[in-house]
Amino acid sequence: MSTSTRGPIPNGGGLMRRLNLGTAIAGGMILGFIGWYVSGKVFGFGDGPDNAWGRDRVWIITMTLWAIGFMAGIGAFVGPIRWVMGKDQKFEDQMYLAGKNQGISRYFKFTTDHKVVGIQYLIVTMLLFFVGGILAMLIRTDLISKNTEIFGPQTYNAVVGLHGIVMIVATIIMVTGPFGNFVVPIMIGARDMAFPRLNALSFWLIASLVPILLSAVFLGGIPTGWSAYEPLGSQAPPGMDSYLMTIIIFAISSGVAGANIVTTVLKMRARGMTWNRTPIFVYGVVASVGLAIPAFPTFMASQVISGVDRTTGTVFYDTAAGGNDWLYTNLFWLMGHPEVYVILIPALAAMMEYLPVFVRKPLFNFNAAVIGIAGIVGLSVMVWAHHMYTTGWAPNLNAPFMLTTELISVPTGMLFLVFVGTLWRGKVWARLPMLAVYAMLWNFIIGGITGIYLSDVPVDVAFHGSMYVTAHFHYTLMGAGLVGAMGAVMYWFPKVTGRMFDEKIGGWGFWISQIGFNVTFMGMFAVGLAGQPRRVGSYSALFANGNLVSTLGAYTIFLGMLIFLAAIIHSWTAGEIAPSNPWGAKTLEWQVPTPVPLENFEVLPVITSDPYGYGVPEKTHEPQLESVHAGDH
Amino acid sequence: MSNSVETQQQSSKFAEWIKRPYLRHVLLIWIGLTILLEFFGPVQARLMGAPASESMKAIEDTMTLFTYAAAPVAALVIAVVLYSIVGWRQPKGAGPSDESPAIRTNGPVTTVWVIVSSLLCVFLLIWGLGEMNSLAPKATSAKPLVIDVIGNQWAWNFKYPDNGNIESNQLVMPVDQPVIFHVSSVDVVHSFWLVQLGVKVDANPFRVTLAHVTPTTLGRFDVRCAELCGLYHAHMQTDALVLSPSDFNQWIANGGHA
Amino acid sequence: MKRTFTALVTVLLGATVVFGVASFLHVSNQQNPPVMATVNGTAQTSQGLLPHAFISLSTYPDSLAGEHGPSGGVHPDWVSYGPSTAISLPAHALVTMTITQYDSGEVLNNPYFARVWGTVATPGDGTTDGQMLLDGKPVSQVDPNHIGHTFTMHEITSPGQDSLFVSVPLPAVPEEEVPDSGYSKTPHVITFSFITGGAGKYVWNCEYPCGDGTYRKFGDAMAARSFMSGTVTVA
Repeated sequence: MSTSTRGPIPNGGGLMRRLNLGTAIAGGMILGFIGWYVSGKVFGFGDGPDNAWGRDRVWIITMTLWAIGFMAGIGAFVGPIRWVMGKDQKFEDQMYLAGKNQGISRYFKFTTDHKVVGIQYLIVTMLLFFVGGILAMLIRTDLISKNTEIFGPQTYNAVVGLHGIVMIVATIIMVTGPFGNFVVPIMIGARDMAFPRLNALSFWLIASLVPILLSAVFLGGIPTGWSAYEPLGSQAPPGMDSYLMTIIIFAISSGVAGANIVTTVLKMRARGMTWNRTPIFVYGVVASVGLAIPAFPTFMASQVISGVDRTTGTVFYDTAAGGNDWLYTNLFWLMGHPEVYVILIPALAAMMEYLPVFVRKPLFNFNAAVIGIAGIVGLSVMVWAHHMYTTGWAPNLNAPFMLTTELISVPTGMLFLVFVGTLWRGKVWARLPMLAVYAMLWNFIIGGITGIYLSDVPVDVAFHGSMYVTAHFHYTLMGAGLVGAMGAVMYWFPKVTGRMFDEKIGGWGFWISQIGFNVTFMGMFAVGLAGQPRRVGSYSALFANGNLVSTLGAYTIFLGMLIFLAAIIHSWTAGEIAPSNPWGAKTLEWQVPTPVPLENFEVLPVITSDPYGYGVPEKTHEPQLESVHAGDH
Repeated sequence: MSNSVETQQQSSKFAEWIKRPYLRHVLLIWIGLTILLEFFGPVQARLMGAPASESMKAIEDTMTLFTYAAAPVAALVIAVVLYSIVGWRQPKGAGPSDESPAIRTNGPVTTVWVIVSSLLCVFLLIWGLGEMNSLAPKATSAKPLVIDVIGNQWAWNFKYPDNGNIESNQLVMPVDQPVIFHVSSVDVVHSFWLVQLGVKVDANPFRVTLAHVTPTTLGRFDVRCAELCGLYHAHMQTDALVLSPSDFNQWIANGGHA
Repeated sequence: MKRTFTALVTVLLGATVVFGVASFLHVSNQQNPPVMATVNGTAQTSQGLLPHAFISLSTYPDSLAGEHGPSGGVHPDWVSYGPSTAISLPAHALVTMTITQYDSGEVLNNPYFARVWGTVATPGDGTTDGQMLLDGKPVSQVDPNHIGHTFTMHEITSPGQDSLFVSVPLPAVPEEEVPDSGYSKTPHVITFSFITGGAGKYVWNCEYPCGDGTYRKFGDAMAARSFMSGTVTVA
């Protein structure tokens, strides 16, 4: 990534020239402090009977003002205010905002270039995984033996809750954030997203929520698990305010990002890129954000209501007072189930995108891939109450939800068909991203089948709330989802960073983490079968061996992931310089130079075929291609 | 062309298809893996322990049956993965291949795949519905024993409204008699999990949810809370004792003591 | 070479961060030294002749006298048990516990805990199994509307660890008798006994909800160790 010759920084940008991460933090801290101070005076900080809502009001106001100050400090409001004042952007303003010729500093500003936003997302995602991983190590260490107490149960519960929500935020953005942003516009032949400033906005909203999320550590934690069920949540300390503010801001960010991506793909595909010629990764990203658009608002609503309950004495979730805790549970799972497909689909789509490149044959049954994705998306909004089979909420609805849940196995099976069919007879170029596909398939078949057990209502009676569920969702979200994301990182690494990813060290890291992963979560299936509940810091002697195995496996995952991280760092800073198309792939992002020019294409391309035209037609055994004519014997 | 020539062509197509070496190898691996995985069938049920009620037995049987049914599916995916790694790999150091066949799709394979997966799905559904039906409480001549289960942070207590309102912190039941639990909570949501008897239902604040079971084995079992409920969720556990009818009556007569 | 070095450094840094955070959390969550039961002679019980151990605790309307020191720590106004919420008892012994209750109180969430559970007779004071001595009088239950605290022990069911469930209600000192500073001159004194089994780890918590301002008043002090909950180690 040579920066030897850069042109001059454009004029324009106005106030944006002075705004960056530093001014954002300053803005957030100033406004946040004012909010804390003033609301503290008005409402008081104390806990106790005379001030049930005081501290929650103080913290929510503080966090809201932090977020507003941060966004003001990064310049998110400059555009709208200028528009109100009648001053639209000029071309030089747009070029400035796109980060033209600004070098490293553009990564710390409100930069609209989708490639910059993609890298910003990648860094923040890696940071979140690091934090979540540390929390996981703390959890597993506390579980190494039945009576180990590194810290007591209230800290344990808080660590578990924080681990969950940090990982959920990280896994939701891990593919669409970095690669939905960096790759998709180039892949469809566009110069940028439909709404470049909204793109920067969606990233900086995430940046603003990270301190809010981590503030939970100082406010008593999130001791309710990431699902924060009511009424337990309303009993919990102000860490819950951090949680609900995080979710509200996250929902705004993902809504904005979703609108941007969907509009971009609908309206800005290059000439000739019909839906049949659109790469499957694009479908996956659109499906994911498209699913998030109806789903995340219910999560946001559930948290807004929690916030109102915590600060004004409303009783939406308090059954004794006339409310209903099942309202929370339904709102939560209306989001919660689609959300896992928001996580999974882009990861699988990334692998479906690059698998043909490494086996050098077309994606098998492109239509089945699209129908499979669409089927999963459509059904996923109809299955939410399979998380509620044992709540007693609506026992008569258990059977219909079992039906819709088990139906999802059919479109999911179609995706397996696409993977298996693409592998079939493909001569394998055994690079590390390719090998990651095998790991994903192994993990996903286990995750998928265990999901089928859980979908059966009577079986779920045995497993709900046990470690079996925890093992199942780690196999799907981590074993398939995160592995897909790691594959995406390795595949697009040469285009994003300009260097080749070190597959030797990266390979060690990857496989050590995979072995550790399977050991950890197989051990967890075992203790779940034997009857260990989830979210417990101490357990019966029956579960001792399984937990020891899981803990040792977890340390192995950590070792592997750190080695993988080292490979990323080393390759990014000192790796072999990459050619513009090291994989010989056909999608558009590989047809532009590396580093990718600011506006991606000199001349916008015209598409004449789909990107899967690999392989030798004569070798397909297709009857019409063999010389069989009537009359031959 | 006559029918016999067409059929001859079709069967020769199939004969050709089956002769392809990679197909036979994958088939062999598939069958081998399926057999291996079928041995795994009963393992999960065994890890769940001996069932102490009909409900638990049904759950364990379902796990075993579903594993038997899933084994060939998993085996197929893994067989293709394995053969891809060993049989279709480019030699080390060689770049990408220029010899892979440009297979875009395969109608018959897709059709069979979708049909089989749909049939499996229908099977799962019918089995599940049948299971739910057989586990539903039946109108029997014996009136079920009513036990109130009250969860609070962080202990369970049990009340026997039909037996003089005896209270106990341990769950005591007579063997082979249907029991119906009236489960509720006085604070947050807990989950009443009678582990070896396959009973689980949430204890919701100020609401009563129901569960029922007929214990079939004498012994001591575990009651655990299965919904995170605060500081001592892990310790919200107690014993469940299944006694002979005479021992149970003795327990009742003693006011809920041994 | 350089990349192996990077890998090694990354692993070491990662491990150090985990170790550092874990150590910090461990130290800041340390339980105070436990209050130990002292064995004094033997007693005749339904399980034969057992060592007789004695232990005393108190419940206070604030945190100034318990394990948080005279300043009361972070939450001086939270009610607490003292001298420590970590309790250590001998195995296979008759344990007689005396609790001096200085605090006021109201109604329980669950009236079950207004009764005495799991106790045995204390030799010589007139109580029978299932009773406790309240200010000199044997009782088996108290008014659920005037409870100050409870002492409720429970466990994880685990093979190899004996069940131990004991719960006694500690009646409230009337509101008028609780001074604005200092403690009531007329606290309730509750004495009860139970038999410990083999070695094991248990927990105890108070079941009288006093976390005012939180849902069902079970937040704050109720949900934090070292105030209204703690551990029991039988060794």
